[in-house]
Amino acid sequence: MVDQSNVSISAQSISVRRDRRKRNRPPYWMIAPAVFLLAVIVAAPFLVSIYTSFTSLNQYSIGNWLHAPFVGLKNYISAFTQGSAIGASALQSLWVSVAFSLLTTLCITPIGIVAALLVNTPFRGRSWVRALFLIPYVMPVFVNAITWRLLFMNGWGLVDKVLAWLHLASVNTFWLIGPNSFWAMVIADVWSSWPFIYLMVLAGLQGIPNDLYESAYMDGATQVRCFFSITLPSLRPILSLALLLSTLNHFNNFTLPFIMFGTPPSPQADVLPLNVYVTSFQTFNFGLGAAMSLITLVLMMIPAYFYIRMLRLGEATT
Amino acid sequence: MGSPKKWLNKKWLNKKPLLVSAAVLTATAGIPFAVYAGTPSTVTLSVYIGYDANNPQAQANLYNKTLIPLFEKENPGIKVTWSYYSSSTQENTELQTAVATHQGPNVFELGTTFIPTAYATKSFHVLSAADWKAIGGKAKFFGPQLTMSGPNPNNYIGVPEMMLPFAMVYNTKLLKAAGISKPPTTWTQFVNDAKKMTNASKGQWGTVIDPEDSYDPWKIVWAYSKQLGSDFLSPNLKKATLDSPQVVNAMTFWFDWLTKYKIVAANDLTYKNSDALQQFENGHIGMWVFQGPSLIPSLNQSAVKGEYAFAPLPTVPYGMTSRPKGGTPTQTIVSGQDLAIPSYTTGATYQAALKWIKFITDPKQQQELFNVYGDLPVNQQAYKGDAALNTPMMKAFVQSEEHASPTPFSGDWGNLETIFAGVTNKLADELATNTFKPADIASQLQAANAQVQQSLQ
Repeated sequence: MVDQSNVSISAQSISVRRDRRKRNRPPYWMIAPAVFLLAVIVAAPFLVSIYTSFTSLNQYSIGNWLHAPFVGLKNYISAFTQGSAIGASALQSLWVSVAFSLLTTLCITPIGIVAALLVNTPFRGRSWVRALFLIPYVMPVFVNAITWRLLFMNGWGLVDKVLAWLHLASVNTFWLIGPNSFWAMVIADVWSSWPFIYLMVLAGLQGIPNDLYESAYMDGATQVRCFFSITLPSLRPILSLALLLSTLNHFNNFTLPFIMFGTPPSPQADVLPLNVYVTSFQTFNFGLGAAMSLITLVLMMIPAYFYIRMLRLGEATT
Repeated sequence: MGSPKKWLNKKWLNKKPLLVSAAVLTATAGIPFAVYAGTPSTVTLSVYIGYDANNPQAQANLYNKTLIPLFEKENPGIKVTWSYYSSSTQENTELQTAVATHQGPNVFELGTTFIPTAYATKSFHVLSAADWKAIGGKAKFFGPQLTMSGPNPNNYIGVPEMMLPFAMVYNTKLLKAAGISKPPTTWTQFVNDAKKMTNASKGQWGTVIDPEDSYDPWKIVWAYSKQLGSDFLSPNLKKATLDSPQVVNAMTFWFDWLTKYKIVAANDLTYKNSDALQQFENGHIGMWVFQGPSLIPSLNQSAVKGEYAFAPLPTVPYGMTSRPKGGTPTQTIVSGQDLAIPSYTTGATYQAALKWIKFITDPKQQQELFNVYGDLPVNQQAYKGDAALNTPMMKAFVQSEEHASPTPFSGDWGNLETIFAGVTNKLADELATNTFKPADIASQLQAANAQVQQSLQ
């Protein structure tokens, strides 16, 4: 015979557990406003971009953009095949952007590491030096761009004058047009963005225990050996993350070339974001511009994939 | 009051999620409407205008202290707000956003060459006879300005607000020092005079070019092409003619200033309009073509104050004694600012917009605008009895306006401008890197022509 009281207790405990579970369930609905905003700010424009990329949306159809003529994959094909009388073709711009982002990241990495190492150990006036190092990073991009534009002016710009004084180049070297415009863009961007690596590395350095260095010194290791055997391996996770973020940021840099060169820029400085902008908003070819943006997004997904993997790896190891 | 965790676990919160979310969203979403709707009897009119970089404070004072208070006093029940765009790029994107979303400013101030693009969007009111009557009639405006208001007199969307005829500004001191008594009237004289004024060792040049600017180059090349008898588009707007011999000739002539006649500095290859202005203001330039009266406030604060004057552009092409057959004495494009009302402005707000346009184009307000901007009034009555508008300098502009030609009224003109800027940019690149060949001008223009042709509708 079944003990009724046991059944009752068991049912009661199930009910209590259920209630407790219910009570402890996180109130997911509270993120509804965030989800709603994400849908409005990110998902909706993204879906509109996909739709636009399959249409020939232009100034004639923008007033009724939902009914712009459908053109299938034409814009995607044009993005890779069409030459451009304005600046660079989309494919050329892609290479400019890839080269620009990789090269800039490559240049700023050693600068950032050295700067972080310099201010990692205490010395008098360290906080002032740390603050000084941040100036290029906190300076608005447009101020940076205008300043470099003036410095790179041929004939009377400071860069040409200094190079001519050092007998390294003619005073009439053109930096803002032609092939040198790419290098001008790299130099200006390196100047303004190295503190990002510096900040990340400095944060990483704070996390390395001093015991490691003390043991190494007791074993007779030199500072160089310590750097390559302790510092660099310890910095690897944060440095990898910094390099990835830096590459992504530089790839998407629009303001610097826009202010430095205007539109349309020289093909050598016609980075993909600028090309997309000119195509979409100055020549009114919104369909082609949307297709180019989505191609950029797909390309950006490659480093983003590694970035997300790295974050998961970080979660697993902490 | 319990701890935050307990508060979060309150049953009522878990039980009524949708209700609470909806209440929060509705409440927050409602705030802007509650603030901006105003009382039913008040119409709020938002006006979107160009930023006056030369004198922003004077512009703000003009609108906040003079124009808007007076208008609101004369028109009770209408409240006017204003905002501005600081570049043609911003003007462009704001217009695109407004047209796509069917909301935004009620009155747009648009550059005349941008009116065809605005017309192409089919998102602006075509003004009816009654509308024109409310504005004060077409007759009050300078005739040539209306040619850019729409494709034909029955389809005008733009109302002229200010005009900006272009002319040639020259340094009177340099001209006198070179023994030149009056500004040139033919392009041959122009080149010869510029040669006389050029002294490279002193950094002094006869003229200046700005091939990196997005707008200046096409204006000069277009005007010269018109003098040679061609245009950038065929009369029916169906065919691009950037590769015509006349346009190639015009572009070649412009770059010849550097390559052949040596009347401009090689440094100019990286110049935009602001760089050229700086050189002129420093007294390094003899003559600068295609510049408007809006330059005057800036020049009056520079080293050339009192040492400059304006003259209409030469009208006889280089090496010729008269214009070839079909050539027109074009001295300027029809240029300036128009006011246009987007289609989403309706009812009482539309009527308020018409009242604002009438107000702003009446003689008194036109003179106020001239005093601040330096751009010329479009209302012919504004010139009567106003000494500042009848100086010899101003007469040079009025004379230019008499020989103004409208640019083709095509919705693809904005696209054409950008593509043309790409051509001058690439040619400047080649010149800067010593890879330029004269034949490149024709080939670059051919490529540009093909790209413009693709977009023509």
